[in-house]
Amino acid sequence: MSRIVMRFTGVGGQGVLLAGEIFAAAKIKAGGYGVKTATYTSQVRGGPTVVDIQLDDEEIWYPYAIDGQIDFMLSVADKSYQLFKNGVREGGTIVIDPNLVYPSEEDRKKWNIVEIPIITIAKEEVGLVLTQSVIALAIANTFMNALDEKLLIDTMLSKVPPKVHEANLKAYELGKKYALEAMNK
Amino acid sequence: MSELREIISTGNDLAAIAAVDAGCMFFGGYPITPSSEVMHTISDLLPAVGGVAIQMEDEIGGVAAAIGAAMSGVRSLTATSGPGMSLKAENLGLANMAEVPLVVVNVMRGGPSTGLPTRVAQGDINQAKNPSHGDYKSITLAAGNLAECYTEVVRAFNLADRFMTPVIVLLDETIGHMHGKAMIPTAEAVKAGIKPRKTFDGPPEEYKPYGVAQDEPAVLNPMFTGYRYHYTGLHHDADGFPTEEIETCRKLIDRLFRKVDEHRDEIELNEEYMLDDADILIIGYGSASLAIKEAINVLREEGIKAGMFRPITIWPSPEKRLEELGKKFDKILSVELNQGQYLEEIQRCMGRKDIEKLTKTNGRPFSPADIIEKVKEVF
Repeated sequence: MSRIVMRFTGVGGQGVLLAGEIFAAAKIKAGGYGVKTATYTSQVRGGPTVVDIQLDDEEIWYPYAIDGQIDFMLSVADKSYQLFKNGVREGGTIVIDPNLVYPSEEDRKKWNIVEIPIITIAKEEVGLVLTQSVIALAIANTFMNALDEKLLIDTMLSKVPPKVHEANLKAYELGKKYALEAMNK
Repeated sequence: MSELREIISTGNDLAAIAAVDAGCMFFGGYPITPSSEVMHTISDLLPAVGGVAIQMEDEIGGVAAAIGAAMSGVRSLTATSGPGMSLKAENLGLANMAEVPLVVVNVMRGGPSTGLPTRVAQGDINQAKNPSHGDYKSITLAAGNLAECYTEVVRAFNLADRFMTPVIVLLDETIGHMHGKAMIPTAEAVKAGIKPRKTFDGPPEEYKPYGVAQDEPAVLNPMFTGYRYHYTGLHHDADGFPTEEIETCRKLIDRLFRKVDEHRDEIELNEEYMLDDADILIIGYGSASLAIKEAINVLREEGIKAGMFRPITIWPSPEKRLEELGKKFDKILSVELNQGQYLEEIQRCMGRKDIEKLTKTNGRPFSPADIIEKVKEVF
């Protein structure tokens, strides 16, 4: 497998970090290398946050995604989207929450922009807004086919408290469903 | 330490785990970005092994408590970032003067002052050399990858007890917060490698804690074990009591230097990456080395033979090796996330001024492209 480079962006407090940790841990469990590196601002809540995820069979030295090499980005906040979109390679996929992120027409020509209302799904269909991170995880893995699904789900379950296992499993299934629908459009 | 275990973690968490595996029983500190996770994690770990972690009223209290614990004989840690190092400086001077072993983890962020709290920098290199006023020789290590956040903290505890001095371990925001795989020694191997500080077990009336050879550290028995002596930041005699006697004062400072200088071989540690056949030498440390390695791999694919020298022990600097490399290489580039603090030391050791530099002080990490571009521009 060649290196898979993904970027999740949001604002501080949304919990975008967790999906990155799960990806990295699952890839390492599978015998490869995974690195997650977050960049955030001194604004505790509301500051733009970016999480870079790299997965590879070879050792990864530099922990940040290199601009222009990012295959997939997911964004749930417009200010983060605007700040970090240019790291995505031309033709790469950007999944956005259409209620929160507003790409221009030029953006839509440059990248494969996919609209999935992640926050609404978490709030209304799962009933737990915190599960947005796992919805994002499912969407990213469905688009990128990065890792074995069972391994990823098992890793996810090992990182969330047992009382929310069911909600997170539901979140994963919903994320996958919406991603498949978007891909088949 | 041949057997390694795989752990998925962050640099800050690995530093905390390392401390506990190395036998640390006390943490005194105060939370500060980007080092807070060291405190969070060790606060979870220490009580389980009978140790104590205290959040003190401020940074000064944090290091003071850690020094107190070390005086009582246990391995002791504090962790902070730049602004906290500034506040701890006075007490670090005391620990250097009184020869109290201690490990200080500094996860570097942008400075000066409160600077850029969440962003990476390597601006505390000069500060680590002499955190406080006065003349002494400090030991500073810099972790350059996740595994070293563990191994260098372990090494720091052993060096602190060997040389009876605070040892600073520099992480930076990138290394502290990055999350991935590290192959580290087993806890058993680390425990087996612990070398506790020397103690005196003769008759108490013959005990002279500071009356040691000129290249050796003080022998400080744990407090409350029947051996009485005095701790002070003042110049002191063989019992630790203040004195202004001319020869005693001269010898004390001379010894603080010589106990480190004459044992550099026990302290120095470097990494050399693809240096054997290289035409271009890149020198960097900490997280900058991650970008350098990636850049070297790309440059070599293009036929440009670059290699890296990375000091892991920053202070005392690898004088001899730098001198040798300065003679061997014509093309040398120094890469660091400050305006060239270590460059001055490299120039001194090499006796050369014609060293190219790549610096950055805007809180952002180097990318491999920055380094590739610079190499192509200057060589």
